[in-house]
Amino acid sequence: MTDFFYENRDVLLFAGAAAAKLLFFLGAVMGFTGLMTLAERKVSALMQDRIGPNRAAVCGLTLGGLFHPVADAIKMIFKEDFVPGRAEKLLFTLAPLFALVPVLALFAVIPFGDYVLVYGYRVDLLIADLPLGLFFVLALSGLAIYGTFLAGWASKNNFSLLGALRGAAQMISYEVVLGLTLVGLLMIYGTADLQQLVRAQGKLLFGCVPAWGVVCQPFAFVLFLTAAIAENKRGPFDLVEGESEIIGYFMEYSSMRFAAFMFAEFAEIVLVAMLAATLFFGGWQVPYLYDAGFAFPGGGSMPLNHYLVAVLQTGAFAAKTVFFCWFLLVVRWTLPRFRFDQLMKLCWKTVLPLALLNILVTGAVLLALGKL
Amino acid sequence: MISVKKVNNRPLNLLERIYVWEIARGLLVTMRHFFVNLVNPKGLPTIQYPEQPIPLPGNARLRTRHRLKMRADGAPKCVACFLCQTACPALCIHIEAAEHPENLVEKYPAVFNIDLARCVMCGMCVEACPEDAIAMDTGEIPGGAVVREELLMTKENLLRNLPGEPSLVGAANRLANEYLRGKE
Repeated sequence: MTDFFYENRDVLLFAGAAAAKLLFFLGAVMGFTGLMTLAERKVSALMQDRIGPNRAAVCGLTLGGLFHPVADAIKMIFKEDFVPGRAEKLLFTLAPLFALVPVLALFAVIPFGDYVLVYGYRVDLLIADLPLGLFFVLALSGLAIYGTFLAGWASKNNFSLLGALRGAAQMISYEVVLGLTLVGLLMIYGTADLQQLVRAQGKLLFGCVPAWGVVCQPFAFVLFLTAAIAENKRGPFDLVEGESEIIGYFMEYSSMRFAAFMFAEFAEIVLVAMLAATLFFGGWQVPYLYDAGFAFPGGGSMPLNHYLVAVLQTGAFAAKTVFFCWFLLVVRWTLPRFRFDQLMKLCWKTVLPLALLNILVTGAVLLALGKL
Repeated sequence: MISVKKVNNRPLNLLERIYVWEIARGLLVTMRHFFVNLVNPKGLPTIQYPEQPIPLPGNARLRTRHRLKMRADGAPKCVACFLCQTACPALCIHIEAAEHPENLVEKYPAVFNIDLARCVMCGMCVEACPEDAIAMDTGEIPGGAVVREELLMTKENLLRNLPGEPSLVGAANRLANEYLRGKE
């Protein structure tokens, strides 16, 4: 028995570390996604001079509405799980999974920290260290279209199908843009590995400014945010399933199947926030913080413990994620919804040419600097 | 004559057509509201209604929760004529009449229930009452309740006079009673 453990030491260590990372990161993401359902209502309420939900109580304790996500979940579980008589049962059941699984799988490639040494064993703080993580992100977010379209198709309802058509057209269009906005980053940092991308953003430009993506590619950041929100079917681009006005693709869904779609949508907000932080805001990088501690450009330095550095970096990543989640909520509750033709016009006639122009300019600058 | 309002839609200038600056301005407005309310939640206009009552304007002629007026001896002014029950569009009044052993000219309500869960606060009962016995001037607005029974007002809940209100005994009734007793 001892021999077995000793011979497979590396595999077991890897598996143990992966399981621990999964529990920690996915647990944090799921919990935060649950809180996002409350945050959306609270943020929108505060923006509109309201209080927001604050009535759900356990033993008379409301904690400012903290129990509302739990109450929502309990309500969803006890609702009737309805399947229309003419629906395709198998696809109807698969559609929520197709919406949820790609989103959750994408969290695997997000680096939430650099690495920690546990008794000399190096644990990289991301679940799956893929050399082509960026392409994995684009590929799986393309898979999320299946959830939308299967839901509309399997419901055997013309209005659901129309909603699904709108959704599929929107997601496919903006996926093109999403990919093109990231080309500039690939050209500058020369890697598609998200962990390497974040490490490359830790360098300094001109000796003082951190080389974050937003510094090198500010234009691409705006385009990326636009495309990501559209891909996420939220914000001003939520005409796929505008809850009270436009009939959407999950019209026939109820109970936990519906909850799966909603959960996927909120998980996507967290994902978009994490991607924005990772690609354009240095991921877990804290400015001037390195392995050994702070080293300011003026010459001052502050050595820090290795674990403290890791905690600071993960905390910085969490803070950036929370900020972008909040920002996406504010955008959603500020801007009026686009019409479908406006949406398509914005994509193909504005954002796509601008993304191509961005690539051209980036290439030209890199060529002029002799870095290509 | 239909009035025509001329809207002067000027064409958007370049900055507005680029759209990003206008988005930023819009976001600034909502973010300002968000942070002001986050820092100072007491400034929100929301009233936590059932727990936090709304002060009513003093001289307002409101239809608030009902009451039954009392005579000086504490008996209801109501004579159980059923006019309010008949007039009620929501069928929320339930009266059971009884005869008084001493008072020979009038009945009195043995049961007088108003189901506030059904009441639409229309005030028709007050209009219908020939004795001016029912009034909607308590200044209390019936709120929600967790149990339906809490909203069922019985005679005991309803009977009360407002402070300073003269408790009247109908002089005509007294004379009629004395007359009837004399005949016996």
